[in-house]
Amino acid sequence: MNFSIVIDNIPLLLDGLWVTLHLISLSLVLGFMLALPLALIRHFKVPVANQLIWGFTYFFRSTPLILQIYLIYYGTGQFSWIRDSWMWVILEKAYLCGLIAFTLNTAAYTTEIFRNALDTMRKNEIEAAIAFGMSTWKAYTRIVIPNSLRRSIPPYSNEVIFLLHSSSIASAITITELTGAARYLYSKYYDPFTPFLAVSLVYLVIVFLLTYIFKLLERRFLSYLSINHESTKKLGDFGNP
Amino acid sequence: MTEYTLQAKNLKKRFASHEVLKDVSIKAKKGDVISILGASGSGKSTLLKCTNLLQYPNGGELYFHNEQIKFKLKNGLMVPVDNKQVLRIRSKLSMVFQQFNLWTHMTILENVMEAPVHVLKINKKDALERAHTYLDKVGILEKKDAYPAQLSGGQQQRVGIARALAMEPDILLFDEPTSALDPELVNEVLLVMRKLANEGRTMLVVTHEMNFAKEVSNYVIFLHNGLIEEEGNPQKLFNHPNSAKLNQFLNVMNKS
Repeated sequence: MNFSIVIDNIPLLLDGLWVTLHLISLSLVLGFMLALPLALIRHFKVPVANQLIWGFTYFFRSTPLILQIYLIYYGTGQFSWIRDSWMWVILEKAYLCGLIAFTLNTAAYTTEIFRNALDTMRKNEIEAAIAFGMSTWKAYTRIVIPNSLRRSIPPYSNEVIFLLHSSSIASAITITELTGAARYLYSKYYDPFTPFLAVSLVYLVIVFLLTYIFKLLERRFLSYLSINHESTKKLGDFGNP
Repeated sequence: MTEYTLQAKNLKKRFASHEVLKDVSIKAKKGDVISILGASGSGKSTLLKCTNLLQYPNGGELYFHNEQIKFKLKNGLMVPVDNKQVLRIRSKLSMVFQQFNLWTHMTILENVMEAPVHVLKINKKDALERAHTYLDKVGILEKKDAYPAQLSGGQQQRVGIARALAMEPDILLFDEPTSALDPELVNEVLLVMRKLANEGRTMLVVTHEMNFAKEVSNYVIFLHNGLIEEEGNPQKLFNHPNSAKLNQFLNVMNKS
């Protein structure tokens, strides 16, 4: 182990960290913005659109992310009509292809998270909204969507951490993000252990911070659910021999 | 012509082939407190939910302050023609639910302010004032910053009543407001309801509370198998029921 490899290359690793962070935060924001309308279309079972979105989420949730990245980066370059079109400005750039793949991937997962939350909204509360004279639009914007988004926080926090881990796959299409930077150091110094261990620690710290942020969000937005201590009993609390 | 706050004529409602309401007519004038009694499955709750169109009836007519609600028949269901009319009328009929149906992600205060601000469009300052007034009236003002899950059933139901009152509705609809409560919590809710009746509010109450029906309401309707078996003033109904079914029902209820 040679820590000087890490210390000498701190700027490279920081660049990698920066790429990782803006790649995932941008895809999370874009994915979120896509997912909410898509989830509503799935929830309301809008004919045709619902089936198309189902196909989209099914594809992106059931194929390996690396294949999705390959398809977008290498796959699209195979067709001359794409290379000759305005799309090539975007698709020839590795970073933008990675961004598209991550955005679509997280959008697919997030759509299903939101749809599930919308579908499991307590009917009682919708009934009250309707009874008090709210239109469907109002009942959704005031009651159903805010409540469902709050209940989506725990599964969504998993999705964020999952996407952070997946971002290391971006190095497969020449994006030098955090893992890519470590791989470069490995090939340069023939020492795999030190750089990979160092970036592992960085991921560890990011996940720790993310977990903490989501804990705060849950405390702020989900406190209304975790009040009843009966619901958080463990097996040992029941006095079973 | 007498003005009725709420009037339903010849309501019919069926679920699949099961006829829940066969032909039921009710009317409520300003200040009426009408109790609707009947065994489970007699159609009480369905009747109440047809009056504010939480359920669309299959036949009949509905009037609010003598204004007829416009329907068209669609696959045997009466679907309102004028959505705006329905929303406007619903905002003047406030419902109190068996399961309270409070909005769980909002505090008590937010629950009570929500519909006045976002349905009636009154400004937040006035809504806050209203919320304080009615939470105080049902004796739960000190819990205004709590969430529904932090309250007992009786407290939640009192919030449900405050939420209904904050709309300052023309008529209050109670759908078995004490049926989901533990026995020791029933009274705190009934006390509030008595207070409201004494203030002269118009109320339609589906209930199993015989004493409430007998002492507080000025009119009682007994439903049986989707029809009104007997109706009239409570003294007459409770002391000298004409129908064998009502007599039997009262005997069962008195024993429990």
